[in-house]
Amino acid sequence: MKSNNPRNILILTVISILLLSAVGCAQEPVNKVIRMSTTTSVNDSGLMAYLQPEFEKATGYTLEITSAGTGAAIEKGRMGDADILLVHSKSAEEEFIAEGFEEVRVPFMYNFFVIVGPADDPAGVAGSATAAEAFQKIADTGSLFISRGDDSGTNNKENAIWKSIERDPAGQTWYESVGQGMGQTLTIANEKQAYTLSDKATFLAHDNSLVMHLEETDDMKNTYSMIIVSAKRFAESNVEGAQAFVDWIKTEQARKMIAEYGVAEYGEPLFFNLD
Amino acid sequence: MELINSIFELLFGTDPELRQIIAVTLRMSLFSTLFSSLIGIPAGVLLGANDFRGKPFLTRLVNTLLGLPPVVAGLLVLLLLSRSGPLGSFRLLYTVEAMVIAQVLLITPFISAMTANLVGVNAKVINETLVGVGIHGPKRLKYFLLDFRVPFISIILAGFGRSIAEVGAVQMVGGNVQFKTRVMTTAIMMQTNMGRFDFAIALGVTLLLISFLVNSIVNRIQKAVSDD
Amino acid sequence: MIELKNVLVKAKDRLILDVPGLRFERGKRYGIIGENGSGKTTLLRVLMGTVKTSQGSIEGLNLDHKVGYLPQSPYAFSFSVLRNVSMTLENDQERDELVLEALQKVGLGSLIHSRGSTLSGGEKQRLGLARLLAVPKEVLLLDEPTSATDIRGTDIVEALLQEWFEKTKGMLIFTTHAPAQALRMADEVIFLEDGRVIEIGSPQDLFNHPQEAETQAFLSHWVI
Repeated sequence: MKSNNPRNILILTVISILLLSAVGCAQEPVNKVIRMSTTTSVNDSGLMAYLQPEFEKATGYTLEITSAGTGAAIEKGRMGDADILLVHSKSAEEEFIAEGFEEVRVPFMYNFFVIVGPADDPAGVAGSATAAEAFQKIADTGSLFISRGDDSGTNNKENAIWKSIERDPAGQTWYESVGQGMGQTLTIANEKQAYTLSDKATFLAHDNSLVMHLEETDDMKNTYSMIIVSAKRFAESNVEGAQAFVDWIKTEQARKMIAEYGVAEYGEPLFFNLD
Repeated sequence: MELINSIFELLFGTDPELRQIIAVTLRMSLFSTLFSSLIGIPAGVLLGANDFRGKPFLTRLVNTLLGLPPVVAGLLVLLLLSRSGPLGSFRLLYTVEAMVIAQVLLITPFISAMTANLVGVNAKVINETLVGVGIHGPKRLKYFLLDFRVPFISIILAGFGRSIAEVGAVQMVGGNVQFKTRVMTTAIMMQTNMGRFDFAIALGVTLLLISFLVNSIVNRIQKAVSDD
Repeated sequence: MIELKNVLVKAKDRLILDVPGLRFERGKRYGIIGENGSGKTTLLRVLMGTVKTSQGSIEGLNLDHKVGYLPQSPYAFSFSVLRNVSMTLENDQERDELVLEALQKVGLGSLIHSRGSTLSGGEKQRLGLARLLAVPKEVLLLDEPTSATDIRGTDIVEALLQEWFEKTKGMLIFTTHAPAQALRMADEVIFLEDGRVIEIGSPQDLFNHPQEAETQAFLSHWVI
């Protein structure tokens, strides 16, 4: 840990609150509660609500799900507030692993980011071969682009694409960073008729007039991983429960559910299993 | 130590974004407070100083608005200013102006209610005294304003405190756009959501320091005007 | 001359004031006496128009700047004593002189820079009187003008009112809970009970030979 002082205070506060709330509750011998910290897209798309009852039925565990941008979702793992993470940002995940928090990391599904924008597509993004090419067009035409700017997996992906074309859009008049979740960012992009990078699931579930101009290019693949938070750092970490979830997600039943999710509503799956 | 360092860096460093955030915060809060006071104080005096039919109803209305949740005020302004809303053509959503509008909606009832309560206590005897020297009707307003100028400053300051500390409405109608509408509170929210607690705490302390500074300046002013 | 005709004041169903007829004349001083709640203050408020009458009329009173009214606990504004008095005056050269003179007359000459809100009850009454008298008046309506003043303050107020009356030959109507003050100050005494005028007369007549049983009962409490 880089900074000892404030973080320790925060951790102590959190632990004491946990301890205080544990007083009075009878402690069960086996910890049945799994604290899961997910990125917003898997939660907001409804995937977790769809999987949760089946998992609980199959294993007898209870899932407590909190969702936040990937940066904050991983931070909960750092602070001992989560047993398992479900996130999608390679760079942030690798940093977390390098710090020694992780027990095991399992990439298990993927989908694609999409570039959405106003229907008339002023930058001519549609038909680009790659996201990089599309971003180049947006920058060249100076079309308004709304960035999540919140260190989330989507935001990290966006930054990586800008980097790949050697552009630094920060501070440009056509570039606005809003530091908010995907839903709010789409609302703002819709209101301003601007482009943005979104995960497909959230975009489809969001009510707006924007149009998907580019999807399923190789540089927009979005891989979701599960990370079990090591019990070496936090003794109360429910590694067993987390492992049970990882095992369950690999079962035929779960894979089938993931593959089918969204087909009925959107005519196509929202997530794909990794082999 | 790191926390203290980062606070110092924020306050005295050259981070252009932070200075921008502070500037936007102050611009928003000062204008919100100014407009809320310009409407709220005269309205509060009218409400507190007069007896008229419908006064109990109006008082209840103001007190109800006092309990208006910031996010509801934000939602109303969002719907009004949205591209598809009645005032959409002004293109005000996600601007500081929109944030000021939402905050005026929130803070004006607060200032009115405080003013009406303050003035109401002595209104009867003040009115009688003024009538006794031939001052009637709207001419009374001047004397109410002069008489309560010191507590009015406290009320205005409390309104400013509400404005600078509010997050729900300004997030909704401001959009937390970097360099444009990002204020201290929305920046703190964002940093917290991103898991950067150190930076969030440093921002929080900075916000408190700014409030303290504003309070100190206003107390000076208050002293000056109380000496007539 | 001011005349009240068939004046009736009610609050909800309670009768506050019932005056079939009452006249006040210029060049006379009227002292209104009576118990708490007898309607003294209401009578002054009716004259000032700050209390609505259920019926009746008040004739002959123009509520202009020549009429001054002092409530029992006049308000002293939080600005300086000087400004408390000058607040009703036009801004001209004579203003400061007039104000200072008025304040000196009520014995507040040394407090001109104090804030009004820091004054005592008696000082506030004297301040209120100075505020009234800074502008020439023909009619003064005073609600217990010495209820909070000390002995010296009472003397100052009474002397000042005497001086004003001799100079202007105006009309003075004051209420008082002290019959002795009415005796010293009034040409006519009006005794009120339960909102009704029981007896009117010169102080000597009314105090020495009260005609009505109510007046006698009221005066029996008065021991010098």
